[in-house]
Amino acid sequence: MLPKLEYSSPKTLEELFEVLEKYQEKAKILAGGTDLLVSLRDRVEKARHLVDIKKIKELDRLEYRKGEGLIIGATVTLRRILESQLIREKYPVLWEAVKTIGDVILKNRATLVGNICNASPAADSAPALLVLEANVRIVSKEGSREVPIDKFFTGVKKTILRSGEVVKEVVVPEPPSNSFGRYLKMMRVWSEDLAIVGVAGLGYREGRELRVRLAYSSVAPTPLRIREAEEAFTRDGTMEERIERAVQVASQRVSPISDVRGSAEYRLNLVKVLTRRLLKQMVEVV
Amino acid sequence: MEKKKITFKINGVEKTVEVAPNKTLLWLIREELKLKGTKKACERGDCGLCTVLLNGEPVKSCLVLAVEVDGSEIVTVEGLSRDGELTELQKAFIEHGALQCGFCTPAFLIVGHWLINRNPRPSKEEVVEALNGLLCRCTGYRPIIEAILSVSKAKK
Amino acid sequence: MKYVGKPIQRIDAYEKVTGFAEYAGDLELPGMLYAKLLLSPYAHARIRSIDISNALKIQGVVTIATGEDFPFRVGLYVNDRYILARKKVRWIGEPVAAVVAEDLETAEEAVELIRVEYDPLPPVLDVRDALKHDAPLVHEELGEYAHSPAFNPIPGTNIANRFVVKKGNIEDGFRKSDVIVENEFFMPQVSHVPMEPHVCIGQYLKDGSIKLWTSAQSPFAIRYILGYSLGIPLHKISVYVPYVGGGFGGKAGINFEPLVALLSKKAGYRPVKLELTREEQFMTAPVRQGFYGKIKTGVTRDGRIMAKKIFYAFDAGAYADYGVNIGRAAGYSCTGPYYVPNLEGESLTVYTNHPWGTAFRGFGHFEFLWAIERQMEIVAAEIGMDPVEFRLKNALLPGLTTATGEKLREDAGRVDQCIRAVAEKIGWGTPPVKISSSKVRAKGIAALWKAPAMPPNAASAAIIKLNEDGTILLSVGVTEIGQGTVTALAQIVAEELSVPVEKIKVVPFRHTDLTPYSWQTVASRNLFMEGRAVIRAARDAKEQILDIASQVLRTPKDDLVIEDEKVYVKGRPEWSIYLKDLAAGYVYPDGNTIGGPIIGRGYYVGSRLTYLDPETGQGYPALKWTFGAQAVEIELDEETGEVKILKIVSAFDVGKAVNPLLVEGQIIGGGVQSLSLGMWEEYRYDENGKMLNPNLTDYKIARAGDIPEEYEIVVIENPQKDGPYGARGVAELAMLSVPPAVANAIFHATGININNLPLTFENIWRALNKGE
Repeated sequence: MLPKLEYSSPKTLEELFEVLEKYQEKAKILAGGTDLLVSLRDRVEKARHLVDIKKIKELDRLEYRKGEGLIIGATVTLRRILESQLIREKYPVLWEAVKTIGDVILKNRATLVGNICNASPAADSAPALLVLEANVRIVSKEGSREVPIDKFFTGVKKTILRSGEVVKEVVVPEPPSNSFGRYLKMMRVWSEDLAIVGVAGLGYREGRELRVRLAYSSVAPTPLRIREAEEAFTRDGTMEERIERAVQVASQRVSPISDVRGSAEYRLNLVKVLTRRLLKQMVEVV
Repeated sequence: MEKKKITFKINGVEKTVEVAPNKTLLWLIREELKLKGTKKACERGDCGLCTVLLNGEPVKSCLVLAVEVDGSEIVTVEGLSRDGELTELQKAFIEHGALQCGFCTPAFLIVGHWLINRNPRPSKEEVVEALNGLLCRCTGYRPIIEAILSVSKAKK
Repeated sequence: MKYVGKPIQRIDAYEKVTGFAEYAGDLELPGMLYAKLLLSPYAHARIRSIDISNALKIQGVVTIATGEDFPFRVGLYVNDRYILARKKVRWIGEPVAAVVAEDLETAEEAVELIRVEYDPLPPVLDVRDALKHDAPLVHEELGEYAHSPAFNPIPGTNIANRFVVKKGNIEDGFRKSDVIVENEFFMPQVSHVPMEPHVCIGQYLKDGSIKLWTSAQSPFAIRYILGYSLGIPLHKISVYVPYVGGGFGGKAGINFEPLVALLSKKAGYRPVKLELTREEQFMTAPVRQGFYGKIKTGVTRDGRIMAKKIFYAFDAGAYADYGVNIGRAAGYSCTGPYYVPNLEGESLTVYTNHPWGTAFRGFGHFEFLWAIERQMEIVAAEIGMDPVEFRLKNALLPGLTTATGEKLREDAGRVDQCIRAVAEKIGWGTPPVKISSSKVRAKGIAALWKAPAMPPNAASAAIIKLNEDGTILLSVGVTEIGQGTVTALAQIVAEELSVPVEKIKVVPFRHTDLTPYSWQTVASRNLFMEGRAVIRAARDAKEQILDIASQVLRTPKDDLVIEDEKVYVKGRPEWSIYLKDLAAGYVYPDGNTIGGPIIGRGYYVGSRLTYLDPETGQGYPALKWTFGAQAVEIELDEETGEVKILKIVSAFDVGKAVNPLLVEGQIIGGGVQSLSLGMWEEYRYDENGKMLNPNLTDYKIARAGDIPEEYEIVVIENPQKDGPYGARGVAELAMLSVPPAVANAIFHATGININNLPLTFENIWRALNKGE
């Protein structure tokens, strides 16, 4: 059963900030609840005052603005993201990553912002947001700040969020024109699972030059973008050499652990195999 | 722990109850309202056997707080058939042998109904995807998939 | 036939699709209390002290029990289990104390406040280590345990049972062999994962009687063991079983029922409910035993098996009260469905400090068939023979003798037909196909057999009552755990008495006070045994009906026919009487009445079954053998180890499919369960024996997206003459031998032999990359 809890459901950001100020570390944001309720039940989560943000209208935004990009509010469910034809076409790497999170039923509750705030190394949306160079808009009583997603995660289940701060939305900028994005995820089964390893890739042309961005889940304490591998790919050589160089660099930069979902060696192999497959597709498509 | 008063509709009937904030929607349905068709089997969102419709959408009721459903509408397996007349999908489950021990059947029916209402002609892949959130240990799933597809075909 | 052989819909379906089917966890009794268990954090330790004082202070706590409160041992075949751990704990997850409180939340809160001091002991966490002469003993008092005479525990060791089978002359057999192949095989412990975790409610009454409401397969076994262990006469124990949300063996024997009964007594005779969480289901409910096997096969160049030396060791975990019979069953079936003229087999059931094992659908056969069917493939490759041809050449056919010296009856099922059927449907004989730089498609085959593992006196019974309107009530002891037996039994009644199935009700619950005896709902025995009992009960009722009708119609009995709910004179259908008019006695127009309520009864026990010789294992253990074969086509990704199952073909010789819809349901459901168990499922432990994946997030079972794209079923019907309408059981058989078929396909794709389960993608990748 869940531990004894208190619950509030503010209707505005102002009310939200008040609650957060009052309860400090005891407070925890409740959006979809699909991760939070499990960690409360397991007594891993210590907060005992849940602040349900689903009634705050401002957090419900899912919109695309030409030039600015895509805005995904804190209470936007994965289901809504998947139903957006625009996201599917314009941000396929994000769409694919979101598709692999949980299952159809969980997606009715789970949110993208929750996925990143939970800060699991296995968060599937994180590598996609990393290669899309998304920004996280954080608000608090004191004001707001915008942080690039690659500065957001600080450790296993840890983010830069300070007490009293809330993620209002994630802003995903316009991807480079004619880019191609994919998320490859290895699971223990075919149906649905947490990632043993996930790799997001974004490929695009800078002039005639093919550029790639690569980011990973479940290979380090945080979701990880590996710029060194991207650069290794950019240097001279045949496509095959460039791919292999990127694969090598990526495999040196990851620090996977062995756990019940996969051993470090297997994860390392998957980093190589999935990176290679992803880059080959980039080369073919972009 | 202060109890909260919530009002909601379940299977078409309006209810007002007082509930502690640490109680789940699953607890509300089974323990408070005594609707035992919704099953408890993992309480962490893995098995999906507690799935009900919340405002028309399937949710795993073990991962929703009871206080969150204030003002909402809930449908459980008991609310699927009217006056004892089985729905087409319930009949199809029986015809296709889509149930054995029956413990997961309510959840599969809830998701099946939702799927067909939303998308009268789902592909096999869409059916499988919708069912991936639920576990069954008896049937091997194929008869369930066939039962849902047979109803969608009948609707053409 | 009008009803038997027809795909009739399940008779329990309406309740199950409307959510009104009653399961034990749905029950609430007046004054009911809730129990919560404290589980051991050590795999092996002495209990120094238990301090419950703080927990007792919580408001709403009614009582707390520890092992010392209940000095009783229970068990199905060996009395090796206390109700709660006493003096020692033997696995991480063993119940040490139980809190009983007014509500579950309070019980959960209080259980956290119990303080236990332990003196850790060295644990035994591998079945091979447990057999070493200096291994720590899991049960020092093994010699004191009461046990059934069919078993042979060895005090001073961890061996709970040693079963030996000897046939022919093994030295001679190996001498005559051209090639000798020896291999080792392994399989971890796994969980039944019934969708409904264990749940039971017990009430002890002040007059010394006990009432139980439980999710269990075998109410009569519970009643008997409880009575025996607590010294309570059986008429004072009532066991009620509503619908069961999946059992698969895990709810056979006796589990938490004694605990709730005794907790009720300690809690002032109020009913006490214990409902396991999913984590507790993994940690503290019984599991399927782990397995280690070593097989040495001697074979001639032309493919004749001359000799086999077989060693099986089952990792029984902490207790083996039921588990001893799994090792025994695997022992007497140890050859698989093949003729082996010279044999030495040894099958041990071994205590370790793992979770305790119990029955699991397949009962040891899933385990040893993994070894046998892998070994068959390896041997075939060794002598350069096609594995299908090799299997056919050594198939155990009617007239040949089994391991225990039983000559296979002339109307036995035909494994050769099953093997041929799956080979044909899978398109056997084509080489593996490379479909991309990393992906290859290949096929594999494996065969199987099993007989019910049960004591020779296992019995079944049935009662048929005619209602006043001519409808029928059938009472049987088999529990409805999903397998659908009761629907098939209703069809048999319909056929025998010529009454439509809709007019037959099988009493939808089991209550030991009201239900006729059935030994257990296990072993794929119930269609066969209850089926025979039902036929006899129907014929008994029929005799009574004809007795009365004969008087009313003034015609000898042998000139009467029962058809369409009427009795009539042969050739004179107009001279008839409705069943309803004689169901409770026939009333003449003047009020004179003859006859009375019609109640038919029947029973069945196996014919000429024997205990097995303790030295040689020879004898007659098998009511019937069911044979089958599985074939798969897989797609393997050699870079990641991913295996996709494109197709499964299953063939079984079921004798007679009484209900083809139910037979197919068992076969597909069993096949997917078999696949799931073989590919993904495993208890993962840390170095202290703690389970690392006690939830369905990390203990993966197949979901809809994991099943084969295609599933083809071949039902073969060579009737067994003493089976009901020729039928044999199939429910357990359905889940045998899919994993070896997959591993055999991987072997054909890559030349790599994988002999350890599970076939996770990672394990496959490891096997393929061993050399690098």
